[in-house]
Amino acid sequence: MNFRSVKPSQGDYFMILIVCLLIAVGLTAIFSASYHVESATLKSNFTKQIVWFVISFVLMIVAIVLPLRLINSVTYWLYALSIVALIMTLFSSRIADVHRWIVIGPIQIQPAEFVKIGVLLTLAKYLSEERRDLSNLRDIGFAFGIILIPFALVVKQPDLGTALVFVSLILPMLFWAGLPFYLFFSMIAPFLSLISAFNYYSFLVAMILIAGVLLFMKRGPRYFLFNMLMNIGVGLITPLLWGKLHTYQQHRILTFLGLKIDPHGASYQVIQSIVAIGSGGFFGKGFLNGTQTQLRFLPAQHTDFIFSVIGEEAGFIGVLFILALFYIILLRGIFIAFVCHNRFGSLLSIGIVTIIGFHVLVTISMTVGIMPVTGIPLPFISYGGSSLMANMILIGLLINASIRRYKY
Amino acid sequence: MNASQLQNRYRIFVIGISVAFFVLLCRFFYLQIYQRARYFQESERNRIQKIVLQPTRGIMYDRNGVVLVDNRPSYSVYAIPFETKKADSVFELTATILSMDVGEVKDKIRRYRRSQFAPVKLKRQIDFTTLSEIEENRLSLPGIIYDIEPRRAYSSGVRAPHLFGYLGEITDNELEVAKDSGYRLGDIIGKKGLEKVYEDVLQGLRGFRYVEVDAFGREVRTLKDKPEMLPLPGKNLHLSIDAELQKFLEARMDTLQGGAVVVDCRNGEVLALVSKPDYEPEIFTKPITQDVWNGLINDPRKPLYDRMVQSLYPPGSTFKLVVASAALESGLITKEWSSYCNGFLTFGRRTFECWKTVGHKDVDLTQAIAQSCNVYFYKLGPKLGIDTWSEYAKKFRFGERTGIDLINENAGLVPTQKYLDETYGAGKWSQGLMLNLAVGQGDLLVTPLQLVSLAMIMANKGVYHQIHLVRYIEDPIDGAQQQLRVDSTMIQGISDTTFNIVRNGMYEVVQGVHGTAKICRFRDIHVAGKTGTAQNPHGDPHAWFIGFAPYEKPEIAFCVLVENGGSGSGNAAPIARGIIDHYFHKSKRKLAYEF
Repeated sequence: MNFRSVKPSQGDYFMILIVCLLIAVGLTAIFSASYHVESATLKSNFTKQIVWFVISFVLMIVAIVLPLRLINSVTYWLYALSIVALIMTLFSSRIADVHRWIVIGPIQIQPAEFVKIGVLLTLAKYLSEERRDLSNLRDIGFAFGIILIPFALVVKQPDLGTALVFVSLILPMLFWAGLPFYLFFSMIAPFLSLISAFNYYSFLVAMILIAGVLLFMKRGPRYFLFNMLMNIGVGLITPLLWGKLHTYQQHRILTFLGLKIDPHGASYQVIQSIVAIGSGGFFGKGFLNGTQTQLRFLPAQHTDFIFSVIGEEAGFIGVLFILALFYIILLRGIFIAFVCHNRFGSLLSIGIVTIIGFHVLVTISMTVGIMPVTGIPLPFISYGGSSLMANMILIGLLINASIRRYKY
Repeated sequence: MNASQLQNRYRIFVIGISVAFFVLLCRFFYLQIYQRARYFQESERNRIQKIVLQPTRGIMYDRNGVVLVDNRPSYSVYAIPFETKKADSVFELTATILSMDVGEVKDKIRRYRRSQFAPVKLKRQIDFTTLSEIEENRLSLPGIIYDIEPRRAYSSGVRAPHLFGYLGEITDNELEVAKDSGYRLGDIIGKKGLEKVYEDVLQGLRGFRYVEVDAFGREVRTLKDKPEMLPLPGKNLHLSIDAELQKFLEARMDTLQGGAVVVDCRNGEVLALVSKPDYEPEIFTKPITQDVWNGLINDPRKPLYDRMVQSLYPPGSTFKLVVASAALESGLITKEWSSYCNGFLTFGRRTFECWKTVGHKDVDLTQAIAQSCNVYFYKLGPKLGIDTWSEYAKKFRFGERTGIDLINENAGLVPTQKYLDETYGAGKWSQGLMLNLAVGQGDLLVTPLQLVSLAMIMANKGVYHQIHLVRYIEDPIDGAQQQLRVDSTMIQGISDTTFNIVRNGMYEVVQGVHGTAKICRFRDIHVAGKTGTAQNPHGDPHAWFIGFAPYEKPEIAFCVLVENGGSGSGNAAPIARGIIDHYFHKSKRKLAYEF
């Protein structure tokens, strides 16, 4: 990666090229996924997505041009607007049994996609304020509060996948904002305890590891004792709570985590996706030649499982190409965060990297069965206007931060 | 945070992202390069489906080429499990339309499913209303499809349900036996009658074809690079049945209980085989409802029973032909041996009555047969003894199956010394039993088929031709005819003289002044026969008439039974008259035969 490509005088416009490449690949995949099906709704996917692209491109330009200071000043209003939009969603009519869209005339908007931006901006603004002290638990707690409200509202829709996007934001941004390692570790250790709690030996090993790291932090006996007690507590309560769940609830959780195979139900999609990708081989079956795709064995193939279409028709080569493009975007994003001298822009950039990275890793991992099926879109590639617009705005903001890295 | 701390955290981010991408890439490498072959096969299995092509079932013709059993298209309903499971309402709606239980529908899908996408047969041969209802609800019934499946059609007007038998879905037990022949759950198999006996011939050979299907089980295209095999149609059966004669007899006996068999005594071909009461053969061409089935099963007149083949009766006086032959052949009597009948015979403390209470006066053997004098034969009974009696009964093929090409044939019962000892206790049965056995009563039980066989043996003076229904099997493709072997045997130990004497008695039954079946007299045809009036515990005696014609050069042998019909001469012989009249005067069969 050539860091010098971001010259002091200009922003990272190279990003636009990469994103456009990704969108072109996405359009090709959507075309393939919608091909030769007589149904009109699917046929129009391709043209619709082109329209969305044009609109998003304009939105991206706007996001590049607007001064960061201006954006910063209206951030809390945007947050309020986001919350209102999410509440409105809950009162909207159901589509496919969930409250996920707001319908305005012929257009269905998925507010949660834009709320991601609002929450991200708010968190960046909050954490970038001079008076924040990230060793202060009250300030940390408030940061958690910022994501908790939209999280709860999106869970209500219900859309757990998107809700997890908000959760994914908090740790990387706190970390980038300067959260001390010892607190960072206090936050992630309980998850380790929770996962290891199902087996005596794994729990013992986890506790020894945690104790070791806690001692290594040299934060004194109170810190050590408090964390140890908390982790042991989590470990003890987990099996009890698990036992209280009904069998079907346990099955659902296990299936969600991919620990249990249910070939006729939830796992069916993943099995078909793996078959599609695996059968693609090195060079792929060729455009419009993927049997899993063209014969509709692949579920949700123009949205959640679009990457399987690429895996089948373009093969390992295609996968490598797409992963490389995403990798470039993410690394450049981290670099922008690194070089951006204003704290708001820097935190904003790391948040954008987190959001896009989370989407990419989760959706792609899900197609090869190493992550649960959550139903979130693959940025720039999956069909869907709201998602494309939101992601283009994020890229716009990232370029914006790169342009204004010395000013504010 | 100072610059070096920031640098550290920057590195952590870069390393974190890089590790994540590397892990993903490894996973793709593993799936797409290392495991490619396995997943490629799986994707091929998904899209390629072997479609079994069902052959058309063979057709049954009568002896003159009239189509008796044919195929006609009908519709069967299938479910594609992958599609139907999407909504519970599909099952409910389907169940309502097909008038099945929701549980039944689900159970069928669970039991019969071969894959997510392979159709499972839900119901066979739906009527047109059901079909249009499915079509109307197309959109609410994802995964419910229908397809043409032939059903049997009986267009000639011949009922003969016991003869043709019927088809049905293969059961688990049948599948266990027949799975090596390529049957699968949901297949159709012959259940009764000729459909069952000639299942192997009629069914043909299944073909197959590979097609590309989409996720909804829809055929996208036929794969040309995969082998394809067309089904071979089942072979046609050319029956010996004369449709006209069969129809005539079915109509003639429609209100009666009993039946009739007509056999060409020159070769053993069955010209007509009627058992009454019967049922519409059509009812088994569609899935039978519980009500109809219970009605058939519980009908006290037992319409499902093929009386000619499965049921046992005392033969009554028709059996006197056997006793007469035995007495002559064993030297007990001669043709001239005569006896006086005063209407009854006292034997021990019991009185055995002749049917003619005033008696037959002096009768010789010919007249004893012609007038069916019981007393004459009562006297022969004890003289013959059980051993000679049963020996000759067996010579005339009683107590064994004729081997006709139908299922569930009954062998009947010829009592022997051993049998009587076991039944009544050794020495505990009196010679009085012999009196009954001599007139075809007592423990002796026969099938009507065995009696027509007796008539044939009499007609042919000892030559027995295997009684059979199928003349030849025809390959519908090249028209090749496969003749079936007909075994002919000569009854041993009965001389021509004996046959001539007994046959003469049979001639007198019809032609004689005192004959019991004068009703069968024709100007141009001489008929020979024997009436029977079999006493039985179920009510009025069964009326029998067996015989052959023409006497001089026999062509047909027949047996008529009217259950509880009273006297043979009064109720069975008139039906035989109709048979002979039809055969010699109305039937066109001679044309076909000589052609």
